[in-house]
Amino acid sequence: MAITGCCLVLFLCSHAAGNATLFYSTQLFQAYADQLHSHPLIVSVFSKGLFLIFAVHAITGSLLFLQNRKARGQGYKIQTRAVKNSQASSTMIYSGLLILLFALIHTAVVSFGDHGKIGITISELFDSFFVSIFYLIAFIGLALHLSHGFWSMLQTFGVNHPRYNKLISRLTYVVPVFFLLIFSAIPLLFLFGTGQ
Amino acid sequence: MELKSNVPAGPLADKWDNHRFSSKLVNPANRRKYKAIVVGTGLAGASASATLAEQGYDVSTFCIQDSPRRAHSIAAQGGINAAKNYQNDGDSIYRLFYDTIKGGDFRSREANVYRLAQVSNNIIDQCVAQGVPFAREYGGTLANRSFGGAQVSRTFYARGQTGQQLLLGAYSALSRQIKAAKVTMHTRQEMMELVLVDGTARGIVTRDIISGKLTSHSADVVILATGGYGNAYFLSTNAMASNVTAAWRAHKKGAGFANPCFVQIHPTCIPVHGSYQSKLTLMSESLRNDGRVWVPKKPGDTRKPASIPEEERDYYLENKYPSFGNLVPRDVASRNAKEQCDAGKGVGSTQLAVYLDFAEAIRRDGEATILKKYGNLFQMYEKITDSNPLDEPMMIYPAVHYTMGGLWVDYNLMTTIPGLFAIGECNFSDHGANRLGASALMQGLADGYFIIGNTIANYLGSTPLDAVDTEHPQFPQAEKQVQDRIAKLLKNSEGGPEGKITVDDIHKELGLLLWDHCGMSRDKEGLEKALTELPAIQEKFWKHVYIPGSGEELNQSLERAGRLADFLEFAEIMIRDALAREESCGCHLREESQTEENEAKRDDNNYSHVAVWEYQGESKEPTLHKEELSFENVTPSQRSYK
Amino acid sequence: MTTKSIDLSLEIWRQKDSKATGDFETYTLQNISTDMSFLEMLDVLNENLTREGRDPVAFDHDCREGICGMCGAVVNGIAHGPEPETTLCQLHMRHFNSGDTLVIEPFRSRAFPIMKDLITDRSALDRIIQAGGYVSVNTGGAPDGNAIPIPSTTAELAMDAASCIGCGACVASCPNGAAMLFTGAKISQLSLLSQGQPERKERAMAMVTAMDKEGFGNCTNERECEAVCPKGISIRNIAIMNREYVKASVLG
Repeated sequence: MAITGCCLVLFLCSHAAGNATLFYSTQLFQAYADQLHSHPLIVSVFSKGLFLIFAVHAITGSLLFLQNRKARGQGYKIQTRAVKNSQASSTMIYSGLLILLFALIHTAVVSFGDHGKIGITISELFDSFFVSIFYLIAFIGLALHLSHGFWSMLQTFGVNHPRYNKLISRLTYVVPVFFLLIFSAIPLLFLFGTGQ
Repeated sequence: MELKSNVPAGPLADKWDNHRFSSKLVNPANRRKYKAIVVGTGLAGASASATLAEQGYDVSTFCIQDSPRRAHSIAAQGGINAAKNYQNDGDSIYRLFYDTIKGGDFRSREANVYRLAQVSNNIIDQCVAQGVPFAREYGGTLANRSFGGAQVSRTFYARGQTGQQLLLGAYSALSRQIKAAKVTMHTRQEMMELVLVDGTARGIVTRDIISGKLTSHSADVVILATGGYGNAYFLSTNAMASNVTAAWRAHKKGAGFANPCFVQIHPTCIPVHGSYQSKLTLMSESLRNDGRVWVPKKPGDTRKPASIPEEERDYYLENKYPSFGNLVPRDVASRNAKEQCDAGKGVGSTQLAVYLDFAEAIRRDGEATILKKYGNLFQMYEKITDSNPLDEPMMIYPAVHYTMGGLWVDYNLMTTIPGLFAIGECNFSDHGANRLGASALMQGLADGYFIIGNTIANYLGSTPLDAVDTEHPQFPQAEKQVQDRIAKLLKNSEGGPEGKITVDDIHKELGLLLWDHCGMSRDKEGLEKALTELPAIQEKFWKHVYIPGSGEELNQSLERAGRLADFLEFAEIMIRDALAREESCGCHLREESQTEENEAKRDDNNYSHVAVWEYQGESKEPTLHKEELSFENVTPSQRSYK
Repeated sequence: MTTKSIDLSLEIWRQKDSKATGDFETYTLQNISTDMSFLEMLDVLNENLTREGRDPVAFDHDCREGICGMCGAVVNGIAHGPEPETTLCQLHMRHFNSGDTLVIEPFRSRAFPIMKDLITDRSALDRIIQAGGYVSVNTGGAPDGNAIPIPSTTAELAMDAASCIGCGACVASCPNGAAMLFTGAKISQLSLLSQGQPERKERAMAMVTAMDKEGFGNCTNERECEAVCPKGISIRNIAIMNREYVKASVLG
C-alpha cells in the first residue's frame, strides 16, 4: 500500500504541475498536452504503469479491508474510537472508492477524449455546475484520503522519529491541503467564470 | 521426620564449589530421559524450567494464569541485589551474606545464604545478556541504588518495574525452550495433588481451569515454585490467585513446613479504605529515602495535615532511631506504625494510616528532582487515592507482603519428600525471620538459574528410580481424592443460596482473625484465642459455603473455595508456630519478649532453630521438629537501629 | 479525596463457554463507592449474583496493580475503559457518574477466542514471543554485566518498549485486530540493545510471520492501540518493526 501510495503521490505532483498551466490559459494547457502526446512511447508506458499502480493500490486496499474486517471478528456493541480525529483513517476504504469512481469517470472523459482539443473539453466540462461539484467532492475525498495516507505511508516505511515527527505532522496537513487547493482551483475558476 | 540439612563440609566460601564437585552428574545424552515437572512460572519457576530444558531434561511446566508471564514476581518494583561492588563502596559477597543473615535476624542457614550472595553476581550477568533493560549511567555502565536501608548501593533496577523486567527475561528464556519443544507448557492449570510412589514424588494431578478436567502427570522430579501464602490474610499485596494449595498438598503428603509464622508486613502500602477492598497496593520502599514518616502528637487529631504545625507532629521513626531514621528495616517500620495507630494517633478516615511527607524533600531538592525519582509512584498513588503527594502527605499503612516461611528444604532445595524440590518464595531457605528489600528477586533467580540444575543432577545421578507413568495406581487414586474433595466443596450448594455465605465472606473472616492475632505483633493470649476460634470458621466454611455452578466448567468461585479450604487448614500451623516461638525475631514480635525499650528481644538460647511442622492426619495435632541453626562464621548480635 | 456512592446499570456480555453464542445481560448496582476499582465493582456484582443463586460473571484478573496484564475488558467501546494509560484494575469508579450505563464486553478479535463471559484466550501473543522474542543465551557463561555498555538513553528507549504488559488491549481496540504494537514493542526493545543484534533479522522475520499465522489483522495506522495502551507504548515501535522487517526481508 505504502509503495503504490508513494508512486501515486508522485503522480499527483506531476499531474498538479501539468494542471497548473491551466491557471495561465487553456491554450498553454493545450500546448502542454500536445507536447506530452508528441512522445507516445512515454505516454503509453506511464499511463499503463499508472494504471497498474493504481489497480494494485485499489485492489490490495480492498483486500486488506476485507481481511482486516475478518480479523476483527465480531464488532463491539458500542462503536467508538479512543483516537480523536480518526475520521480520515477510519474512512480510507470509502474515500478510496470515491477516488476510484472519480478516476474512472475522469479518465473516460478526459484521457479517452480527443487529445487534440483537450483544452476545450476541459472548459466545456466545467461549464456544467454538477460536474464541477462532483470534481470538488472528489478532491475533498482525495484530501481526506491523503491526510491519513501520507502519514501512514511514512509510518509504514518506518519513518517515525522524535526529531522529524513535528515536520511530519505538519506535512500531514500541508500535503492534502496543497493538492486540494491546486486541483479544486480549476473547477472553481471555471465555475466562477474566470477560467479561459 | 528427619531434618538433614546436607550442608557440605569445608570453609563457608568453598562449600558450594565443594558441593558441586562432589555432586553426581547426569550424562548430557541421558538427560532427555528424565522428566521434570515445574509448577509455577514466576522468577524461580520460569528460570528453572528454562535452565533445566537448556541442560537437556524433558520439562513440563504448569501455571495457573493464561500465560507464564503473569506470575506475581512481575509486580516487584524496587530492584535486585547483587554483590558486584560496581560502586566501589565496600560491598562484597561476604557483606551481602552478612547483611542478609543479619537482616533475617539470624534465623536462616549460613551456607544457603552465603551461596545466595555468591551467585547473585551471575544473575545480573545472565539478565543483562537476555536483554533486560536495567537502568544505566550516562557512560553506559549499570546503575545502582541503595535500597531498604542498605549502606552500600548494590541494588540493580529497571525503573519501578524490576520484577516485571526480570520475569520477562526468564519468560523469554522459557519461551525459547517452549519453541524448541524442550518444555511442554500447560497454562490455566492448577495443581491439585502431589503423587507419591514408594514415598518419592513422582507426579501431580492438575485441574484445567477452563474445562474442569483433571489430568495426571508423571515425572522423575517435581519442583514447586508456587510462591507464598500471604493471601491467608485475605488482604495482602499478593496477586488474587496466589495461594498455598500446592505447598499445602505437599505438606499433607509428608513435606515439612518451616517457620509458617514468618510473614513480612511491608510498611509502605496504601491504607485500606473499605470493606469491599480486594487487595492492598504496595508503594516502593524507596519512598522512605526522601519521605518523612509522622503522626500528630495528639491522639484523635483530625485536622488536615497542612494545618498541624511542626511542633505538634511526631516524627516517631527519626526520634526513636536517630541513626537510621526513616530507613529502619521493614519490620521495625511496620511495628511502629501499628504502635502509633493503636495509641489513637492514626490518620485518615479509618485512623489506620500514618503520613509519609515529601514537603521537606521538595523544599530541599525541588519538585522536579523528587518527581524524577518518584514520579511514577506518585502517579500510581494518585490514581488509587485521588490525592497528589506533592500537595499533601501520602498516607501509608503496613500490609502483608511476603512470606519467609515455606516448605522446609535442605541445602539441595529438596523437601523432606525425596524428589520434591521447592524454590523461590515457596521454600523457607534464605531470608530467616525477615527479608531485606530487593532480595526476593535475587533468591528466586538464584534458585532457578544457578542452584536447582546442579542439585537435581545430583539427585537423579544418585537415586535409582523405577519407570513410573500415570497408569500407576497412585495416580487414579490421587485423582479420586481430588474429585471427592471438589464434590465435598460443592455438596452444600445443591439447595441454593438461602442461608448460605460466599467464599469471600469466610475468607475475610479468616483474614481478620489472622491479622488481629497473628499479624504484626502476637501474644500468647491472642494466639490461643485464634486457635480456639479457627475451628468454628472451618466448620462454617464446610457447612455453609455456597458455590454456584459445577466442577466441570470454568468456575472461579470453586477455584477460590478450593484455595480457601487449604488456607483454613494451613492457618492452624501458622498460629501454632507463632505460639511455639516465644521470642521476638525479625517480623515475629511476641509481646512477651521485648526489651525495656519495647524493642524485639531474641532468645538465641531457646529458639535458634528452624521450626518444622509435620502433618499427622485429619484433626490431629501437627508435630513440631527443630533444625538447630549453628553459626560458625557470624556471631548473632541483637539488631539495633538506634 | 471525596467518597461518593453511585448507582449503575451494567450491560455485560455473558457467554457460557467457547462454543456457546453469547448475549448481553443487564444488571443494576446500587451504592457503589467511588473509591472502588472497576474490578472491585465487579466483585460486588458477583457477590450479589452468588447470593441470588445466579452465575457470577467470569473475568480474568490477578495482580490488581496494573502490571500483570491479566485483566481487561472493553468498557463503553474503549479497551480498559475511559482513563488513558490505565488498566481495568486501576480504573476507579470516581470516573463514572450515578445513573451511568456501562456496556462491558470482552476483548474481541479473531485471534482471541472467548472462553467464558469476559475471559478470552490470548495465547496467540505467547506464540509470537516464542517465535523469536528472546536473545538465545543459555544460563551460565554470560559476560560481566558491565562488559556490555548501553547508553542510558538507549536503555530508556528499550525500557519504554519493554514495559508492555501483554494485556492485548492493542489487539482488542484495533479496528483490524492487529497485534503490531505488541510485536513491535518486543522487536524494537531487542533491536535497540546490543544483546539483540546477532538475531536481529531472524527475529523480525520470525515474529512477523508468527503474527500473521495467528490470524491477527494488518496495520493501517489507526493509532487506536497507542491510545488505549495502559503503558503508553508508542506506535514508533511499529515503525521500528516495519524498518526491521523491510531490512530483513529486502536486504536479507
